[in-house]
Amino acid sequence: MNIVVCVKQTFDTEAKIVFDSQGRIDPNGVNLIVNPYDEFALEEGIRLKEKFGGTVTAVSMGGARAQEALRTALAMGADKALLVSDPALNDADEWVSTQALAQAISKIPYDIILAGRVAIDDGSSQVCVRLAEELHLPSVSTVVKFSVEGNKATAVREIDGGTETLEIELPVVLTAQKGINGNEPRYPSVAGIMKAKKKELKTMTLADLGLAALEPKMKISKYDLPTPRQAGKKVPGEPAAAAQELVKLLHEEAKVL
Amino acid sequence: MDEIKNVSLEMKDYIASSGAETLSWCMQCGLCTNLCPWRLVPGEVSENFNIRKMQRLGQLGLEGFEEENILFACVTCGMCQINCPRKVEIIDNVRSMRNTTVGAGFLPPHLRPIAGSLHANGNPWSGEREKRAAWQNGLDIPAFTEDTEYLLFVCCTSCYDTRSKKIATSIVRLLKAAGVNFGVLTAEENCCGESIRKLGDEELFQKLAQGNIDLFKRKGVKKIITTSPHCLYAFKKDYPELGGEFEVMHYSEVLAQLVKEGKLSFPQELARKVTFHDPCYLGRHNQVFDPPRELIQSIPGVEFVELDRSRNKSLCCAGGGGRIWAEVPMGERFGELRITGAVEKQADTLVTACPYCIIMLDDACAGLEKGDVLQVMEMSELLCTALDTK
Repeated sequence: MNIVVCVKQTFDTEAKIVFDSQGRIDPNGVNLIVNPYDEFALEEGIRLKEKFGGTVTAVSMGGARAQEALRTALAMGADKALLVSDPALNDADEWVSTQALAQAISKIPYDIILAGRVAIDDGSSQVCVRLAEELHLPSVSTVVKFSVEGNKATAVREIDGGTETLEIELPVVLTAQKGINGNEPRYPSVAGIMKAKKKELKTMTLADLGLAALEPKMKISKYDLPTPRQAGKKVPGEPAAAAQELVKLLHEEAKVL
Repeated sequence: MDEIKNVSLEMKDYIASSGAETLSWCMQCGLCTNLCPWRLVPGEVSENFNIRKMQRLGQLGLEGFEEENILFACVTCGMCQINCPRKVEIIDNVRSMRNTTVGAGFLPPHLRPIAGSLHANGNPWSGEREKRAAWQNGLDIPAFTEDTEYLLFVCCTSCYDTRSKKIATSIVRLLKAAGVNFGVLTAEENCCGESIRKLGDEELFQKLAQGNIDLFKRKGVKKIITTSPHCLYAFKKDYPELGGEFEVMHYSEVLAQLVKEGKLSFPQELARKVTFHDPCYLGRHNQVFDPPRELIQSIPGVEFVELDRSRNKSLCCAGGGGRIWAEVPMGERFGELRITGAVEKQADTLVTACPYCIIMLDDACAGLEKGDVLQVMEMSELLCTALDTK
């Protein structure tokens, strides 16, 4: 079974977002991690390979630093890695990302394409669904349970207030919810980390993929930080009177009572 | 019987290349394991972690040391290392073995927010960088200038943790009372990086350390007083490797000298029976044993009693080597043994001189419900209560 896992390198969850002089998010000095949802997808991909045999290829798009994310994937147990990297992709929107990734993945044999259900940086949740569309494949999002039998797969996905069970024919695109199939992303062995250094990690530019520069369909005009949380309010005075005042404030000002 | 595994010279070389230079010196006598504080408590980590075996796995390049309960169990107390007949740098070996996974981007999940905060905020406690010096508001602490003799470097823990801030303010009060010419650069400082280096994140350590070294040099810092023995260790033993050479002292050393010179005294009589827990990083690692004892005993009325395990034989609080962030069930915490030991000596006050030890001992004292008979105090706090309050 051939498995492709899309992996995105994102800001650390602890990272502090600051803007550069052009009002863009400044990546300088920020610690980068593998998107945590993609780690669950990787774990699922590696487990499928362990069960059915085959190859896991980790695919990412980004600058040179994204190689670190792919090395992580290789240390966990992916067999090969491919990085799509091109300065022309710096302002990629979801459409551009999809075009580049679809072109790259179309050259790899696949039965299952996996990714996290969302990247924790921009949170768009679009690229993998678009990818399925581009490759003319079925897609199931936010999968919590997944199994394969022969050419058929059963996927359980979260829907509003419950779950939905679907039967799909392979190949398929899946996005993983946290804890898919009850598994935690593995902690690699030192042997795994050593082996990862020797595994194939290929980098391809748009030209290598046979693509010309792609014009994004969407442009980000402005970033804003969330309004800082307001400081709490202390109601002073004697407890009985303060409690009365508090109830009054909760009723009239906060309107929660 | 354990399953048979293949020896890997390649893995051994990989571990050695991460810095475990003395790994091959080990002759497997096992003294380290027998001196290890983990032998004194029951539980899962104690059953899994064997420092001699860990060295052996490294020597032979055998898998099995990477399990979290083994790789991240060592508290780096140094008890094994100072007694090792072959002078194996056991803690460096542990650090290097951790680096083989951490350096590749794999920290155990519970430590990721710690590293993340160090990257983003320059401290491990998820405190905002802008608020590092907030505890100083209203205390009138001078900024360090070229005319200042000492830089007072305050541990991140005492900048952000409410309990620990009292240590910082007490030390400031004592230095002022003794007329020490000191100043701070708190707002611009990073974590010293001692613990994250022990956890194996060499890259992050170097980033933090370089920031501090550049700052100290730019401001003309020559002498540093640290509030924490961990910062003391980093500045004395780690920073010279990166070109940061400063004269560094723990606050207890500075104060003890001032008492001897008659520049600081404690006129308030305290009717307390006090015992002292030697922090590993002050005692074993930096060989500072007498100054805290001299200070405590310079308070009139204090009766001083030694714990059974003291000075070079002191028992670790379990907060070193990154274990300050480990979840350990009650009944398996070294701190409990310290509390019990102090209670057995009928001390009413257990004094120590390290913000990490305070966290661990406070926890153990509360867990054992001994707060009614024993008070855990940082030494600066005890000394402040004996200052003339006029």
